[in-house]
Amino acid sequence: MTTQITVKVNGVEHFLDVEDDALLLDVLREKVGTTSVREGCGVGACGACTVLSGGMSVSSCLALAVRYDGAELTTAEGLDETDDVVSSFVDCDAAQCGYCIPGFVLMSRELLAENARPSECQITEHLEGNICRCGTYPEIRKAVAAAAERRSPR
Amino acid sequence: MAQLHRPGSLDEAVELLSGLDNAMVYGGGTAIQILIKQGILFADHFVDLATVPGLREVTADDRGVTVGPMVSIRRMETAAPPLAADAYRHVANPRVRNTASVGGNLAHGDYRLDPPTALLVLDAVVLATSAGGTREIPVREFFTDFQETALEPGELVSGVRIPNQDASAGYHFEKNSSLGENDWPCASAAVLLDDRTVHIGLGAVAPVPVYVTADIAGLDDQGAVDAAIAAVEPVLDPIPDVRGGAEYKRRLARVTVEDAVRRAWKDRDHG
Ligand SMILES: Cc1cc2nc3c(=O)[nH]c(=O)nc-3n(C[C@H](O)[C@H](O)[C@H](O)COP(=O)(O)OP(=O)(O)OC[C@H]3O[C@@H](n4cnc5c(N)ncnc54)[C@H](O)[C@@H]3O)c2cc1C
Ligand code: FES
Ligand code: FES
Repeated sequence: MTTQITVKVNGVEHFLDVEDDALLLDVLREKVGTTSVREGCGVGACGACTVLSGGMSVSSCLALAVRYDGAELTTAEGLDETDDVVSSFVDCDAAQCGYCIPGFVLMSRELLAENARPSECQITEHLEGNICRCGTYPEIRKAVAAAAERRSPR
Repeated sequence: MAQLHRPGSLDEAVELLSGLDNAMVYGGGTAIQILIKQGILFADHFVDLATVPGLREVTADDRGVTVGPMVSIRRMETAAPPLAADAYRHVANPRVRNTASVGGNLAHGDYRLDPPTALLVLDAVVLATSAGGTREIPVREFFTDFQETALEPGELVSGVRIPNQDASAGYHFEKNSSLGENDWPCASAAVLLDDRTVHIGLGAVAPVPVYVTADIAGLDDQGAVDAAIAAVEPVLDPIPDVRGGAEYKRRLARVTVEDAVRRAWKDRDHG
């Protein structure tokens, strides 16, 4: 069956016809065009497909699109270098190939919204379900700490 | 693909569940979607609980906390008694915990899941609702066989009641993985320990999560460890797989229980 849903992606409303079994990942990539949302593992374990729904992180590879009718979604396309997290990732050279980075950036935004001054351990724990094939974990951790500092200087 | 039904009330959900052929509850969907991708899920209908109001409530009273089936695992990190909160915190990663539900985690019935170990120790009660009404199933009677639960066809988990944890008892949840830091557990143990008894919930080392106790009155810490290991020995029945052979898992189970008991002992004596 096809259902019409309305989702706000990065502030823009989209009216979409989606199949009942369509995954949010595929709908965002193919119908909305936000290709920063990527498939890695497809089973919730790598974070490449992360989106924020109302600020909360979701693995779009395991999410039914129809459930997000009325949701406000954020993908990396909605952020630019004026964003503290994005600019910190850039300044700390956190990206190599960059495939994983949108997911890490969104997870980091969720963390900082919940906890303005996370400890090193809390940063690691919140990002435990994200995988970087290039292994830039030290730079990523540094970038999150830098973003926290930028947002709320001590 | 199965047909998706989106009921607007619990009554409608249980009607659909009993009326439709080969229907399955759709909770958070984190396990269901993986089974679909693996090509091993054969449901004709999904009954989605996301549209049913009132299933995300957490109600605390002086005896404990009652939570709705669609409460997220992430929320349980702060809403559940400390031992259960620790077990919920160890599930998957924060993103999966945002979506996965308390009801789905129980009904999934997998022998490796972390939260059941703590729910067994705390003597939680599962509320099971069908078109015929609601009954209570002690979680200690809920896991009946490999990937089987006490839920009858047409029943769904409509809540879980977790009694308060004895504040003077020591507790610890210990999880050991073998393939990677963030992998499913290879052996896990939830332990609650007072002056006389150690309560142990074991995960991943038998076809179902299991609960055992041991009498530790008058024993010192080493005595309590020995008593706990002797108590779990007869129920260890690990399934060999990529995470380890049976003998390896048996040994890891003993190590996990020992670590959990020692830490619970320290927690009881030093807070
Ligand atoms: C990457 C990853 C890592 C994981 N690691 C761990 C881990 O380390 N430890 C751990 O414990 N778990 C782990 N899990 C498993 C996770 O705990 C389960 O996927 C999750 O709890 C299932 O909940 P759900 O709401 O998504 O269930 P669903 O996928 O919706 O459903 C699972 C099953 O329960 C049934 N069901 C759902 N809700 C109800 C209900 N209210 N009443 C009756 N039946 C119902 C469904 O029909 C289905 O059979 C991991 C999962 C992923 C994706
Ligand atoms: S693709 Fe979704 S978490 Fe890996
Ligand atoms: S930068 Fe290449 S995968 Fe992370």
